[in-house]
Amino acid sequence: MAKWGMVIDLEKCTGCQACTMACGMENSRLPGEHWQDVIFYNEGEYPSPQVKWFPRPCMQCENPSCVAVCPVRATYKNEDGVVLVDWERCIGCKYCMVACPYGVRFYTEEKPAYGGPDMKQVFKGEQGRSWNPPWRMPDSKEDWKHGVGVQPHDVVSKCTFCYHRVSKAPKGTADLDPSNPALREFTPACVVTCAPSARFFGDLSNPNSEVSKMIGNKNGVRLLDHLGNKPQVYYLTGVGGAVPSNRATNKA
Amino acid sequence: MIAIREPKDFAEVFKYLGELRREVGTAEFLRICFNLGKEPSAAGTWWKLCLVLGAASGLFVLTMLITVGHASFNTSSDGINWGIAISTYVFFALTSSGLTMIAALPLVFGFRQFQPVAKRCIYLAIITLVAGFSVLALELGHPFRMLWAMPTGMQVQSPMFWMGVFYSIDLVLLIWKFYLIWQEDWDSPLAHLLGAASFVCVIFASGMLGMVFGSVAMRPMWFGSFTSIYYMLTAALSGAAAIVVTSYMAYDFNRNRMPEPLKALAESPDLPKVFATLIGIALVMILTRFWTGLWSNLDGMEGFHALVRDPLFHAEVWLGLALPFWMMLSPSMQTQPGKQLIAAFLVLGAMFINRYEFIVGGQIVPMFKGNWVSSLISYTPSLTEWALTVFGFAMALGLYALGEKVFHLSAVPDQAVYPEPAKA
Ligand code: SF4
Ligand code: SF4
Repeated sequence: MAKWGMVIDLEKCTGCQACTMACGMENSRLPGEHWQDVIFYNEGEYPSPQVKWFPRPCMQCENPSCVAVCPVRATYKNEDGVVLVDWERCIGCKYCMVACPYGVRFYTEEKPAYGGPDMKQVFKGEQGRSWNPPWRMPDSKEDWKHGVGVQPHDVVSKCTFCYHRVSKAPKGTADLDPSNPALREFTPACVVTCAPSARFFGDLSNPNSEVSKMIGNKNGVRLLDHLGNKPQVYYLTGVGGAVPSNRATNKA
Repeated sequence: MIAIREPKDFAEVFKYLGELRREVGTAEFLRICFNLGKEPSAAGTWWKLCLVLGAASGLFVLTMLITVGHASFNTSSDGINWGIAISTYVFFALTSSGLTMIAALPLVFGFRQFQPVAKRCIYLAIITLVAGFSVLALELGHPFRMLWAMPTGMQVQSPMFWMGVFYSIDLVLLIWKFYLIWQEDWDSPLAHLLGAASFVCVIFASGMLGMVFGSVAMRPMWFGSFTSIYYMLTAALSGAAAIVVTSYMAYDFNRNRMPEPLKALAESPDLPKVFATLIGIALVMILTRFWTGLWSNLDGMEGFHALVRDPLFHAEVWLGLALPFWMMLSPSMQTQPGKQLIAAFLVLGAMFINRYEFIVGGQIVPMFKGNWVSSLISYTPSLTEWALTVFGFAMALGLYALGEKVFHLSAVPDQAVYPEPAKA
């Protein structure tokens, strides 16, 4: 049993959103419904404004509030430390969306988030799918019990740490390094695609994994740690990066 | 006999209806059903109105849900997750709990002067809960799945799980209790046990409903044990307002038509006193909630500043609570029928706004969306969401009118059989 975790080096991240794109393609996301997103925010005013950004997947919390609140146990944490949604159990109550501090969960039945044509109408869903994207993953990989594939109607979805890839990795692997051809196909899509290699993926329960060492040696921090959810996604800030310590709302 | 009135059991209901149909023919029978009796009555008018309104709004909601689905709501993942449908559900669920609490005054705590409203309270508690559940079911993505997924999941960590458990037990106890009162069993040991059990159950149910919001630390506008207490006490207030409004409604808003025991209660200062106390408690709780909310710099509390700038909030506090508080405290006004009614209507309106302001207001600070959603979220319910709310109200009012016509909701125990307890 692993405890999968991610390390994101904010000094390397260019904010290019390639991870967001890769995730959308890999997981058949609706445009605008980003399981993985790079959040931009600004602080200060001219002439000394700051623009910051940080990539934000689901934090796969150690103490996931989404799991605790789900009244039907549709959201659960699996033995490898990944938080998943069983689309055959979810009743669409949206309590998990209310309770997730990082705003990373999405309900299917909504007006388009981006103002363009409604893709669910353009590509009408079949076989219980909420829509039928032209680029969807092979049917054989779809796995509703683990929230993988095109989402059915009226349920909530979230980042699965690419469960369909990671769960096939050889047991005992310390790090899923995309530069290793033998491991590449088991590595989450966002990690594979990241051009400056800002994302790292590995077993946090293994003290010798690269991710564990990076967190220890480079002072990995977690988002909103005071809430106690204890993310399994760590950020390295170095000298040039920063994670926001609050919701980063412009207090207008 | 104008229509069936207080049948002994369901067999009698169907027997009567069957006989009536044979006697007057199907067309006339349907007309009588639609009018709730052969002669026009206040309840009959409410019933007809609600039937039309409920059918229109219900059909509209269903059509929208079938053709567009829940995308016809203005709720969204980046915006307000729980909109007016949830606040309407909470309004009904808490009103139901409050009515059960008011019914407990005579049935559990022995305040006999409140007996004339006990049966109506229990009936109303049932139908408001049913209306609330119906609205909730139409809001949920998969309402039927809940029926098997809740018991098989047994997620005991979830306040929503417990809310479901307690409200389900509550509904069963209420129906059972009503059945006993219908059978004129007010004082048997079973009746007492049921009364006490349902009181305890609604305390848990309303408290758990509060916990659904109070347990989420990442929503500081809701977080804390205060929310449970707030829900329990304001539930009692909306229950009190509902029983005043409906007791008058049953008699065409004319106190002189009320049967003697109910009239005596309406004329005495007891009910206004209870009412004023509950409004006072609600006002203090709102004051302390906003006081800490406006004072605190904690991330996520910014919504309080937006709420106090909202005219709805001021309508709620000044018009819906402060004014009725004054009316129900003033000895010259508190027993006047008009003033009681106005106060009760205002409080009901205030409680509806309160649930909306609490639930939607608690989500207006975006949850970590950076510049994508950089200011407070704005939300206006869609037409479908409004129709769902109207449907809930039409259902509650329509069922109320039906009950008013079929049952003796002002019934009190037969005094010859159940003598007054000795005065202390
Ligand atoms: S980030 Fe949100 S959705 Fe992901 S595990 Fe934590 S609470 Fe759950
Ligand atoms: S929306 Fe689905 S996954 Fe989320 S809490 Fe409700 S049932 Fe659980």
